[in-house]
Order: sequence, then C-alpha cells, then structure tokens
Amino acid sequence: MDAATLESTIHPLLLYVACAVGALGVIIAMPRKGVSPALIGGVLAAAAAGMVIMGLLLTRPEGAGMPNLFFHAFAILALGGGLRMITHPKPVYAALYFILTIIASSGLYLLLSAEFMAFALIIIYAGAILITYLFVIMLATQSPDETQDEALSVYDSTAREPIAATTAGFVLLALLTTMLFRGTGGLPIRPGLDSSDAILASLPGKVEDALLRDLREAELLDESEGFARMGDTGKLVIDTEARTILAAPLVIEGAADEIVETNRYVEVPEEMWPEELEGTNVEALGLNLLGEHPMTIEIAGIVLLMAMLGATVLARKQVDLEEEAKARQQRRLAVEGRR
Amino acid sequence: MTGAILDTAFAAAFALAEPAADAAHGAATHAGDHGAGHGGMSGGALMALIPLLPLFAAALVGLLACFNEKSKLPAYASVGILGVSFLLTLITYLGWDGHSVIRVGLWDWISLSWGDGVGESLTANFAFYFDGLSLLWMLFVTGLATLIGLYASEYMSHDVGLGYCRFFGAFNLFVFSMSCLVMGDNLLMLFLGWEGVGLCSYLLIGYYYKKKAAVDAGMKAFVVNRIGDLGLLIGTLLTFTTFGSVEYASLFESINANTTATGAPLDATWQVWAIPLLLMAGAFGKSAQLFFYVWLPDAMEGPTPVSALIHAATMVTAGVYLVARMMPLYVADSHLIALTVVTWGGAITAFWAATIAMAQYDIKRIMGYSTISQLGYMFAGLGVLATTGGVFHVFTHAFFKATLFLSCGAVMHGFAGQLDLRKLSGLWKVPGFQIVTIAMLIGCLNLAGFPLTAGYFSKDMILAEAFTTPDSQIGASSWAGWLMLLTAGLTAYYTFRVFFRVFVGPVEYHAGDEDHGGDHEVDAEAAAAIDESHEDDAAHGHHGFHPHAPGWAMNLVLVVLAGASILAAGLYFVGDHHGWAGGMVHGSATYFDPAHVGDHAAAVIGEAGESADDHAAHAHGTILGMDPHKVMYYISGVVGFVGIGIAFVLHFAGRTEAATSKADALARAIEPVHRWAEGKWFVDEFYNFIIVTPLKVISHLFHWFDKLVIDGIVELFGGAPKVGSDTLAPASQTGVLHDYALRMIAGVAVVLVVVALVLY
Amino acid sequence: MIQAGFETGLLLAQAPFPEAMGAATLNHYLFVSAAMFALGLIGFMTRRNLIIMFLCTELMFQAAGLAMIAFGRYHMNFDGQTFVIFVLTIAAAEAAMALALVVLLFRKRESLDADLWAELKG
Repeated sequence: MDAATLESTIHPLLLYVACAVGALGVIIAMPRKGVSPALIGGVLAAAAAGMVIMGLLLTRPEGAGMPNLFFHAFAILALGGGLRMITHPKPVYAALYFILTIIASSGLYLLLSAEFMAFALIIIYAGAILITYLFVIMLATQSPDETQDEALSVYDSTAREPIAATTAGFVLLALLTTMLFRGTGGLPIRPGLDSSDAILASLPGKVEDALLRDLREAELLDESEGFARMGDTGKLVIDTEARTILAAPLVIEGAADEIVETNRYVEVPEEMWPEELEGTNVEALGLNLLGEHPMTIEIAGIVLLMAMLGATVLARKQVDLEEEAKARQQRRLAVEGRR
Repeated sequence: MTGAILDTAFAAAFALAEPAADAAHGAATHAGDHGAGHGGMSGGALMALIPLLPLFAAALVGLLACFNEKSKLPAYASVGILGVSFLLTLITYLGWDGHSVIRVGLWDWISLSWGDGVGESLTANFAFYFDGLSLLWMLFVTGLATLIGLYASEYMSHDVGLGYCRFFGAFNLFVFSMSCLVMGDNLLMLFLGWEGVGLCSYLLIGYYYKKKAAVDAGMKAFVVNRIGDLGLLIGTLLTFTTFGSVEYASLFESINANTTATGAPLDATWQVWAIPLLLMAGAFGKSAQLFFYVWLPDAMEGPTPVSALIHAATMVTAGVYLVARMMPLYVADSHLIALTVVTWGGAITAFWAATIAMAQYDIKRIMGYSTISQLGYMFAGLGVLATTGGVFHVFTHAFFKATLFLSCGAVMHGFAGQLDLRKLSGLWKVPGFQIVTIAMLIGCLNLAGFPLTAGYFSKDMILAEAFTTPDSQIGASSWAGWLMLLTAGLTAYYTFRVFFRVFVGPVEYHAGDEDHGGDHEVDAEAAAAIDESHEDDAAHGHHGFHPHAPGWAMNLVLVVLAGASILAAGLYFVGDHHGWAGGMVHGSATYFDPAHVGDHAAAVIGEAGESADDHAAHAHGTILGMDPHKVMYYISGVVGFVGIGIAFVLHFAGRTEAATSKADALARAIEPVHRWAEGKWFVDEFYNFIIVTPLKVISHLFHWFDKLVIDGIVELFGGAPKVGSDTLAPASQTGVLHDYALRMIAGVAVVLVVVALVLY
Repeated sequence: MIQAGFETGLLLAQAPFPEAMGAATLNHYLFVSAAMFALGLIGFMTRRNLIIMFLCTELMFQAAGLAMIAFGRYHMNFDGQTFVIFVLTIAAAEAAMALALVVLLFRKRESLDADLWAELKG
C-alpha cells in the first residue's frame, strides 16, 4: 500500500472517527438530570476538531502551509461557543455563548478580508439581535418558586433525545465534510486587488480629490488637463501596477475631436499614491450591493418592514384596563392637564 | 346632464345618413367618410337615443332599487323615458323620406382583421340601420312598451319595492335589447339584441321566482331558445364565411350582385339555402314555431304585461323580423327551399296551435296558443312572398293581441288570479269591467278576423297571397292557404269561446287562489276597499269575494290599445303599396319584387320598380278559379262568421252557469280527440320522453362515472398516503416539533448517504 | 509572503493581516461552517426551550454566512458578502417575528417548552 492510497483511506477514516468522537463529546456535554460533565464533552469535541484539522493538514495542497494561529483560535472559539450554547442549561448563558460565537465568527470574517461584514456582524448580531433575545429570555423566564433552588426549568435542564439527535447531526456533518477532503487550493492573496483598478475607476471623486490637486502642484499635470474618462462608462483609466493614470485636456466647447491625440498617461510618483486610493472592502461591497443587487435591497426593505409590522401586531398586548383603572388614569391626566 | 354627455359622445361618434342606393357602399367606407353624411349629427344622435334611453332607464331603475325606492317612481320614470323614446321614433319616422336607409354609427364595436384578403376581417360596429322595416318595428315596440309600462305600473302595484324595480329594470332592458335587435346594423348586433331579449324574457317569466312553475317556465323558454339560437349563430357565422361580412349593407350588395366573397355565383352554392334554413331555426325558436313552440304557453307564468309585450307583441315577432330582414337572401335561392319550409312551418304551426287553443280552459294560455297560431300566419305570409302581409299582420297583431292580453290581465288582476273560463262568466255585468269587456271584444273581433277590423285585412293579405303565389314557386302554397283558411275558422271559434264564456252570459265568478303570485292581503284589502259600495254583489254566492276593478292606468291603456287596434285597419287604405305597411316594406332595404322571385336568383332588390303592383302581368295562382285578391275578403269573412257562430251556439246560447256549456256534449262525443287536444297533443311529454329522459339517463351515467372513476382516481392519490400513514406509522404523528425536525434531518442524512455511496 | 509551517505561526502574527492568511484553505472555513451548522442542528433538535431553538437557527444562519463569505473570498467576488447582508436582514426579521411569537406562546402557557405545543398530532 503506497502512501497515496494510505492517505486517501486515512482521511475519510480520520474524519469519521473525529465525527464519532465529536458526537460522543456533544452527547456527554448535553444537559441532563444529575451530572452533565460539559468539560469532558468539550475536551472530546476539541479533540475531534483537532483530528479534523490534522486531516485537513494532510490534504493541503503542495507547498501550502498550516493556517495560522488566528484561524485556529477563532475556529475553536466559534465552535466551542456553539457547543456550549447548545449544551448550557441556562438560556441567558446560552445567549452569551452565542455572542462569543458571533465574535469569533467575525474574527474569521476578518481573516477572510471581509472587514465590513465582520463589524456589521458584531453590531447587528451581537449588538441588536442578541440583546433582543436576552430581553425576551428575561421576559419569558418564570421566577423560581419556593420549592426550586434556582430558576431552571425542566425543559431547560434536560435535553430531548440527545443521542439520536446528535448522531443524526454528526452523520450529516460527516457526509457534508467528506467532500472537503478532496482538497482545494489556498485562498488567493489580497482579494479585490485584481479588481481594485475597476473599483478605483468607479470612484472618480476619491481619486480626483486626492490626486488632481497634488499632480497639478507638482506640475505633472497641466492646468488645462484633467483625468480622461471612458466615453461609455465615465470611468477613469487607472493602472495600479504601473501607477499611471490617463490624463486628457479639459474639454473645450467645439473641440472634442482633437482630444484623443493629446491624451497621455501620467506617472504618479510613489509618495503621491496614497494608501487609501486602493479600493477598500466597504467600497467594493457597496458597489456590488448597489450596482448589482438593487432590487434585492428593496425586497429586503420590504421584508424588514413586514417583519416590523408583524411583530407589532403579534406582540401587542391586549390591555384590558379595568374601569376603575381607566377612571384613575383619566383623573391623573386631568390633573396633569390643569397644571 | 345625461343629454350633454350623450351629445359629446355623439360628436365624437360618426353619424351618417345616405340614400339607399349608396347604402351598399357604406360598409366599406362609412368609417372613413362620416363627415359626408347629410343626416346630420343631431339627427343621428336623436336616433341613437331611441335604444339608449331605455338602457338609461334600466340603469336608473337599478339605481332606484339600490336606494330601496318604495314608490311607483320606477314605473313612471320608465314610462316617461320610453315615451320619449317612442316620440323620437315618431320624429325619425316623420323625417324619413320613405325610401332611404339611414345608418347611425356610435362606435367601433368589433373590428378584427387577420389578413388583407376578402373575408379576412370582421367589422361589426355598434351602429343602427333605419329603413322602413326597422322603423315599423320600432314604432310599435316603443309605443307598446310605453303603454304596457303604464299598464304595468298599476298591475304590478302589489309588488312595489324591490320587485317593482326588478320588473321595470328588466322591462327597460328588454326594450333596449329589442331596439338593438331591430335597429342593429349587422347580424352581430341583431344577435346581441336577440340574446338580450332572451335574457330579459327569462328574467321576466321567472319574475315570481318563488313559484316553481314560473322558474321552470323561464328555464324552459331559455333552453328551448338556445336550440334555435344555435341555428342563428351558425347561420351568422356561415353568412360571414360566405359573404365575408355581417353588415346588412354589404350583405345586400353581395346578394344583389349574386356573388359570394370568393366571387362565385351565389345561387350555385349550398349556402344559399343552408343559411336561410339556419336563420329560420333561430327565428322559429324565438317566435315559438313548430318544434320550438312549447316554451311560449308556459311563458304565460310571467306577469301579464310581460306576456302582452314580450310574448305577444314584440319579442316573439323577432323571428319574423329576422326572416323579413334577410328576405333578399331567402329569395336568392332559385328553388326557394327555405321559404317553402317557412311557409309550411308557419301554416302547420298556425293550425296545430289553434287546435290546442280550442280545448284549453286557461284564458291566458288560450291567448298564448293563439299568439303561436298568429305567428304561424306571419311566417306563412313571409313564406308565400307576402312580406307586406306578414309585416302588417305583425303590426296589427301587436296591438290587438296586447289588448287581449291586457284584458286577460285585468281579469286576472281583478279576480285574484282566476283564469279558468269555467269559473268566470258574465263579467260585462260586474262593476268596473265594462271597459275591459269592450276592449276584449275589440281584440277578439280582430283576432277572429271579423270583417273590416285590422286583423281581418292583415290576415286577408296573407291568405290571398298564399293562393296567389303559384305552387310552382312555393311548394303547394295553395294547400297551405286552405289550411290557414281552416285555421282562421278555428281561431274565430276559440276566440269567441273565451269571450262568450267569460264576458257575457250569467254572472258568476270564483276568486282565484294564487292571486298572481304576489302578496295576498294587500290585494284583498284593496278589493274590499274599492268594492265597498258593491256589497250586493256578494249575494251571488262568491264567498264574500269582491272583484278588484281595474284602475285608471289599466283602463286608459286598454282604451288606447283598443282604439289603436281599430284604427290600424285604416292603415290598410293608406299609401300606394298595399297600405301603409306595404309602403314601409317597399321603402326598406329588403324589398324585393315577388314577381321576379324564382325566375333567377338576381331578384331585384331595392329597385323602385312599380311592377310589384302589376299582378296582372304575371301568371299567378287562383282560388277556385277566382282572383284571390278579390274574393278573399268574402271568403275569410264568411269563415270568421261561421267560427263566431259556432262559438255563439255552443258557448252562449242558453248557457246558465259558468262551468258547463253545450260544447261539453260535443267534447264527450269526440272524447279521445278532445283529451289529446286538451293535453296539448302531449308534445311536452313526447319531448320529455325523447330528449329530456335520455339526457337525464346519460347525465346520471356521467355523474356516476365522474364520481366513481375520476374522483376515485383523485382520491386514491390523496387517500393512499393517508391510509399508509394511518396504518403504518400512526405513532409518527406526534405533533411535537422536535420529532419532525429529527426525522427531517435523518431523511436528509439518508439522502446524502446514498449520494455519497454513489459518488465514492 | 507565503508562510510555511506551523512554527512560523508566531511570526505571522506580525505580518500584515490579509497576507498572513494565505495558508488557510477554503476547506478549513467550510469545515468550521459545517461543524457550526451541525451544532445548530443538534441544538435545535435537542433543546426544548423555544428561545434556544431559535438561537440555534441563528447559529445555522451564521454557519451559512461564514460559508458564503469564504466562497466569495475564494472566488474573488463580493456576492458572498452581499448575500450575508441579506442573510442578516432575514435573520433580523425572523428574530423579530419569532420572538413575538414566542412571547405570545409564553403568554398562553406560561412556559417555553416546545413539547407543550403538540396540537397538530395526527
């Protein structure tokens, strides 16, 4: 049996063993009557995750290295937070662990060069949605009566069919990840770099604000010259590799035909090329969002509006003030009105 | 306000009036050169108002119904508007030059084109076509509608409220539809009106919708008419495919030129006899002729004004109108096949219905059968090329039959729905019924063909023409003439049977039990109030019942109509072309010269030839060797007298009570015949047996097939999973969310396992 | 620029952020995503508290979002991130509705136990 065959058999096996171990860990960590050794379960699950990472290491492409520490840290935090979230008997803690997962996820987003989404995730999810969850959890939790030691409901403290559910879940996981072990190339370097020309060219104001005055002061650009724009799209012509930008004489009334001959590439000196002139993630995302999915934004707006209305209608409390209370209210209002 | 709106509409619409000679070109050009017409916008607008006013009235009455109007306002509004409509018709008639065709276009209704060739475009404008024929029809349609509307305002008074509005809404809608039918510029407009009047007829027959008989009668009328309408529809479509047009103007042009759309000679095609026969099927359905007549007697379940207007005077003559209107097409066939069928269909129907009418006891039904019989005369008249006679008979019949029906209605109104002639007698002597009796007498004289009445002259024209027309032209037309002559005698008999039984003789009456389907108390109270001064009448042993004498509206209408029936006779002597009706027909676009018919297909139509009067120039048939036009006056007069005399002897002389007469002995003597005639020759039962029963059997078969097989298959697919889940996995339906989620995930996992096994 | 081996991991920490990530493959992220999804699924199936069940669905949303951003990064386009924006939108809407429903249900039974709601029993 040569090495390749060994590898190809070990990887799925390794994965399946890891899944089994992970499932065992999750089952152990599940809340139940009596002891629920979440720590042991967590360790087992972490071991499983480690096995998977080992498997992934074995299938990495030639010359590719290990992912760095941050990836591992964020992945472990995210998965551990998720594990603890689904196993913690107290809803408030579960929600807090979910916030941990969210923050770790946003770390992964950062690694994936999705800076905007990373922070949006923290703001929207951890900041808004989870706080709503916490509110509702607090609103909908019964206060403990005398017989109970703490405010822990039965339905919180015991999991339902932990073995069957966990088995099903991990079988699914194993199946989903089997394909992963066929290997893919490493992530491309510097996302958006290839397209930053285009992004920059789509943001003329930014370039002009930064460059036009500087270039004129440095007398690299004549006063009668401006940046050339492509006739059909109105975009600038920028070469980020060669650091050049196409300049053209300012359009004079009635002399449009002669422009072509006097167009020239202006080389921008190193110190004048500001860092922020590269297209950023937010700009790229904004262009993508508004340029290619405008209708979807509208639909999302409508969905949010409907959700808002729906939630208002659903949660409206049927306030049934008693007559006396009403009268009291009216008296109070009357007194305030007189003031 | 309405006038202003309409004026604006008409300013935008095209209106034109052009001489008959130019009418032929109209179809192709009238959309373009609407400025050229010299009829003038205002004239066109006035004419267009004739049908639109009733439509407006219908809408107005509907609006009143929405406001829950509880007065007689709907009736008076309707009568007023219909009256204006009649006046407009009259103005149009007076302004008509006697021979031209006036076409008034309102808007493009149907304008289709799927090619450039002949017959590849369909134009049917919402336009009106005025010539002698449609003017004649419109005169009596709007006139009678006005009068009968006035009559109905009192007759229907027991129903004031929503029912009243419903009645007058349908009434006005009927007048609109009838106007469309008569004045339509093309066959599609005619069809629109045709179906419209059918609908209104249905609505009004079933007016007493709580009465099963009325609802059934409405349905029967509708269904029977559908069969005929199919013929009309196919005929219209065939007309279009043959001539490439449904507009009268271009149709008549093609027929005159003896060409079809493809240029082939018309008289060599099969369509030349097929189209008339198909149109005739529609006409026979609407006009209750042979095979289709069964709906009309049942239609008497409707309120009497409806019977008078729709089922005696106007709608049922739509068939006659159709045949008269399309007469050029009928005479285009050199063999005159369709006309022969029309003649014999009419003659046989006339006789057949008369025999039934002789044995009936319900006076309104007798009038219904007599209507069928008289319509038979009209068709026979058209069939034997006596368009003038047929049309004149339509005109006179409209008045005297309306009179008769309204008189019957007055009786019905006064005697709480009593219509059995065995339970009414001597109404002449009942207070308040003198006018009714006189009106009835005038109507009966007309119907019986008493000399010098309008009915006498119009019937004579038909009878004489039946003998005049050679048998070589219309197959055995003289035999049809003899049959109609016999029928004339029968008509006189059964007409005066009613009169002698009900209106004269000893005074005796029994109240009806149903009170014409409306409320009971109000009418009885009204009767009591009105007849308070006639307490002594109760001495006749009528269980305290007081007849309810007709009020001013009903009497007025009866007087006017009776007068009109008498005066109509005068029309016979007006004009150069066999009376006024002859002049109208002569001036219509469908006029043809009977002398030339059958010689060749290119009958001269619309030609102002005077040869029509010149009968001597052509060989024609005789009656017993004499000139029919001269002797028919005497023959038919004698026949009428004989019929009246027999009725006098059997039903008046020596009769002492309402229920019996000398005719009973005669009836017993010919018991089987009498029983069959009284049972209407059991045609309804026969139809039930050969059509309705098999249909029911088949429907049941289909029903069970549908239920067992089709539904069975559907329910199998629905039921199998249910049974499966019920029997195999009852425990799985726990209702708990987690169980479902778990099973769903397990299912996905299984699918993925399969996929993975296949992939690896 | 491309760092090889675990031993250089500490050095990487000082490297410019985006460039340091070259070593992780798409599979790493997809694995994290799948595992997160599975955890959410398991949580949904085992937990009986309605609120936690909904939290688990949010976890599954997160997993999907992570996968989308990773794919977008791998294929060098921004549609993945754009889609995550919409996922966030839907998640917010869903949270609003779901929590409103949870509050309603809680008012009815004074309990968040999902097993109490089993009226659709067949």
